Amino acid sequence: MSGEAAAVELRATAPPAWGASLGRWLWLGPLLLTMLLPFVWMATISLAPRSGGSFARAAAGPWDLSSYRALFASAHLGRYLLNSAAVATAVVLLNVATAATVGYVLGRRRVPGEKLWTLGIVATLMLPKQVLMVPLYLVMARLHLLDTYAALVLPFAVDAFSIFLVRQYVLGLPIELEEAARVDGASDWAIFRAVVLPLMKPVLAVVAIQSFLTNWNSFLFPLIFVDSDRLRTLPVGLALLSQTEHSVDWSFLMAGSTVASLPVLAVFLLFQRHILSGLLAGAEK
Amino acid sequence: MPRATSWAFLSPWVLAFGLFGLYPFAFSLFASFTDYSPVRAEGARFVGLANYARALHDPAFWSALGNTAFFVVGTIPLTTALALALALAVQPAFRGRSLFRTGFFLPSVVSVVVLSLVFKGLYAPNGSLNGLLAALHLPTPAWLLDPDTALPAIMAMDVWSASGYYMVIFLAGLEAIPRDLYDAARLEGATARDQLVHITLPLLRPTLLFVLVVNTIRSLQIFAEVFVMTRGGPLHRTTTVVYYLYEQAFYRFDLGYASALAYLLFVLTLALAWLQMRAVGRPAEASA
Amino acid sequence: MKRPARWVAAALAAVLSCAPARKPAEEIVFWQFWPAEVVTPLLEEFEREHPGVKVRMEQLTWQSGQEKIVAAVAAGTVPDLCEIGSTWMPRLLAGGRLADWSAGVADLKPALRGWELCTVGDAIYGVPWVLGTRALFFNKTLFARARLDSTRPPETWVDLQRAAAAIQRLGHGVHGCGVQAGERYVLSKKFLPFAWGNGGEILSEDLKHAVFDSPANREALEFYLGLRRVGMIAQQDALDREFKEGRLGLAISGAWLFRQIAKEAPALRYGVALVPRPANERGAHASWAGGEVLVSFNDAKRKQLALELARFLVRPENALALAGAAKSVQPATVGADTSAYYRAHPLEAVFVRQFETARFTPNHPVWGDMEAAIEDEVEQALYDRKSAARAVEDAQARLEELAGKK
Repeated sequence: MSGEAAAVELRATAPPAWGASLGRWLWLGPLLLTMLLPFVWMATISLAPRSGGSFARAAAGPWDLSSYRALFASAHLGRYLLNSAAVATAVVLLNVATAATVGYVLGRRRVPGEKLWTLGIVATLMLPKQVLMVPLYLVMARLHLLDTYAALVLPFAVDAFSIFLVRQYVLGLPIELEEAARVDGASDWAIFRAVVLPLMKPVLAVVAIQSFLTNWNSFLFPLIFVDSDRLRTLPVGLALLSQTEHSVDWSFLMAGSTVASLPVLAVFLLFQRHILSGLLAGAEK
Repeated sequence: MPRATSWAFLSPWVLAFGLFGLYPFAFSLFASFTDYSPVRAEGARFVGLANYARALHDPAFWSALGNTAFFVVGTIPLTTALALALALAVQPAFRGRSLFRTGFFLPSVVSVVVLSLVFKGLYAPNGSLNGLLAALHLPTPAWLLDPDTALPAIMAMDVWSASGYYMVIFLAGLEAIPRDLYDAARLEGATARDQLVHITLPLLRPTLLFVLVVNTIRSLQIFAEVFVMTRGGPLHRTTTVVYYLYEQAFYRFDLGYASALAYLLFVLTLALAWLQMRAVGRPAEASA
Repeated sequence: MKRPARWVAAALAAVLSCAPARKPAEEIVFWQFWPAEVVTPLLEEFEREHPGVKVRMEQLTWQSGQEKIVAAVAAGTVPDLCEIGSTWMPRLLAGGRLADWSAGVADLKPALRGWELCTVGDAIYGVPWVLGTRALFFNKTLFARARLDSTRPPETWVDLQRAAAAIQRLGHGVHGCGVQAGERYVLSKKFLPFAWGNGGEILSEDLKHAVFDSPANREALEFYLGLRRVGMIAQQDALDREFKEGRLGLAISGAWLFRQIAKEAPALRYGVALVPRPANERGAHASWAGGEVLVSFNDAKRKQLALELARFLVRPENALALAGAAKSVQPATVGADTSAYYRAHPLEAVFVRQFETARFTPNHPVWGDMEAAIEDEVEQALYDRKSAARAVEDAQARLEELAGKK
C-alpha cells in the first residue's frame, strides 16, 4: 500500500470530540503553563524598557514597544537576520542530505564494522567545542576561510547528531519494502530515493528542525570565524547590541530574543506536520 | 550487493571529518602532552603525561567531575522520562494537540544564553520565583547563591528546557512503529498498558538509545548555563568539567592542560556511551 | 579626420584627469569592545589626519571577546591594534608576544596613569586608554529617612557601619549596605579596597612572596564580614538593582550605574563618595582599579600605524569622548577631573578622584589564580565555613605556593 493511501486512511479518522480530550488537557495543561511561564517573563520584560530586568516593575509599569522599535531601527538587524537565515538554510539542506545518506548506510549495516563507524561518528560529539575551537580556527585560517560565509557553513555541513538520529530511526524501519524493491531489480540509489526517503520523512523533519535550531542560535563559532559586521549572524549581533561591559539591556535583549525565536518557531511549525504524517500506518499492507 | 554505493553514501562524513574534524582532534590530543599556551612566545614543550597527572591530583578537577556526575545522574532519567511521557501524550490525535506540541518545544527555541539570563533573574533572592513561593507561604531559598541549591536549580532549568526537545525526537520514533501492530494487539485484547510495554517501548529502543546517549554527551559538557548564571560558584559547587577547562583555556591561557581535561572527559563520555549502547541498543523487536 | 581625433584626445584628457593616481589605501585592523557609534567618529577623525589610511574596526563582545583574541594569537592572524582588559594583561605580558612600545610612548608617561597595567620592569607593552574603579554610592532619600546627613557621606569604616545600621533599621525590605556575594572576578574588587585601605598588601614588591597574612588584612576581612549584619549579601547585579530601586542605602559599585540609573531610575536621589578608609588619621580611601590597554603584537603587520592610532586614541579629548559616552569608565588622562565634562558631572568626577588612591592588582603572571584563591577564601568566610583569621591564613598559604611558580 502506498504512503498516500495510508495518509488518506488516517485523515478519514477525525480527532475525538472535545470531551474525550479533556482528560489529557487536565494534566497537560498545567504542565504547559509551567513551561511557558519563563516566556511570559521574557515578553513582559521586553515591553518595559525602564524596568531593568525586574519582573515586578515590568509587570506593573506602563508597557511600550520602544525596545522593539529600537531593535528594528537598528541598521544592522536586517543584515544579521538575513545572514542567519542564509547560513541556517544552507546548513539544514546539507545536514538533511548527508544525514539521510550516511545514516541510512549505517542503519542498514552496509559497511563492515558499522558499529565501530557509528561509535566513531558519535565520538566526534564527545570532545567539548571549547577545546576544538582554537585548532579549528587554525584550520580555517590556513584554508583562508576566515571571514567568509563558507566558514559558517562548511564545518557544520555534516552533523554527527543528525547522522546518529537517522541511523537509529532506520534501525526501526521494516526492511521488507526495500527487499521487495530489490527483488524487482531496482538499483541501490533507486531504492533509496523511491522507497526509503519517503519513509524517512519524520526523522528528516526532525533533522531539519534541530539543525536549523542549533545553527540559528549558534554563537561561539560565528563569533570567532567572522570579523566583519556584514557577515555577522543574529546571536552575535544581538549580544553586541545589548550587552555592555557590566550590564545587559534587558528589555532590548528580550525583545531581540523574542524576534529571534520566531523563525525557529516557524521552521518547527512548518516541519512538525511531517513528523506525525502517519505514513507508516498500513505500510505493511 | 555492491559496496560501492555504501562507501559513496558514507563519503560525505569521511570528507567532512577529514577536513574539519581530524585536525582539531589530533591537535588537541597532541596539545594535551605539551604545555602549549597560545599567548606565550616560546613554543610549546613536550611534557608527556604531566597534564594528565596534574588533573588526577587536582582537587578542583575531581570536584568538577563530581558536580558533573551529579548533574548527569540527576537530569538524564528525569528528562528522558518526561520527554517520553510527553511524546506518548501528544502523539494520538486530540484537540489542541498541535498547541501542546509547540508549547512544549518552545523552551528549546530560545538560545541557551538568553534562557540562562532569564532564569538568573527568576532565581534571584528577590526574584519572581521567590515572590511566588512567598505568596504561597513556602520557604524561599537563595537558589543560585546557596551552595546546596545552586546546582539543583540549574538542573531544574535543564530538565525544563530539554524535555520538549527530546519529546520531538521521541515523536519521530513513535511514528516509525507500524500501526498494524497496535491493531493486531487490540484484536487480541491487549490493554493500553500492554501495548505500551510490549510494542511501543521495545520498538522505541533505538530512539531511546539515541536520546540517552546524546543527552548524556550534552549534559557532560554543560557550560553556558554555568557561565551565565553562577560562574562556577558558590564555593565551586556549580563548576562543571567543561567550565573548569574553559577557565584554564581562556583565563589561564593554558591550552595544554585544558586539552588534557577535555580528553579525560572524552574517555569518560565514550565509556558511558558504549555502556549505554550495550545495555539498551539491542536490535528492536516487538515482544509477544 | 581631425575632428574625431580632437574629440578622442579631449576625452582621453578628461578621463585621465578624473582618475588621479591614488596610493592604495593602507588598512589597519583594530579590535575593540565599545559600541560602534562611540568609536567610529574617532576613527574617522584619525583617517582624516592620516590620508591614505583606513581603519577596519571589529567590535568584540565583552563576554567572549578574549576567546577570539586567543584564537587569533594562536593562528597568527592578530589585529594590528587591540584593546585588552587589565584582567588578561598579566598573562599576555608574561607571554612575550606583545609589541614593545617603550620608545614609542615614553613621552606620554607623565600625561597618563595606569602604566602599571602594561609595564614589566622598564619595558612598556601598551598604552592605558580608559580606566575603571569602584566607589561608594549612597541613597540620599534613605539617608534622610534614617536621619543621616546626606551631604556628609561616610568617610571612615565606623561611619559606614553606623550609616548602614541606621538604614537597616528602617526595615520593610530596605537594607543598609550591599555586601558582595561570592562571584568570580567580582568579589576581589569589592573586598580588596578594604584590605588596601587598611594598609594590607598581597604580594611583596618583587612579587616573589605573598604577604597577605597580616593584621591589616585580617581586620579588613573582619570588617567586611561584619557588614553582613547591617546589609544584604547578593551578586553584583542584584545589589545594583536593589540600589536602583531605592531599597539599598549604600553600595560599592562601578560607574556603569550612572547610565542605568539615568535610564531606569531617573528620580533616584543619590550621591557618590570615595570608598571609606579605616579611620580619619589612618589608612587610605583605597579602591580597586583596572582598565583597558591598547596593545599591538609582534606578529602584527602594521605596528607603526598601530602605535600612531593608539597615541591618537589616548589623547585627552578622545579618551574623554569614549568615557563620556560609555560612562562606565574614565579616561586614563591625568587631571581628567579638571575637564569641562567632569566639572559638569560631579558624581562621575568622584570616580576620577578615586583613581588617586586606587590600586592596581599585581602584575604577576599567575595573578588570575591568585585572585581566585583570595576570592575562594573570602567566600568561605562569607558562608561561615571559616573564620576571617583562618581564611586569611589559608589564602596566604595558597598565594605563597602560587608565587613560587611562574
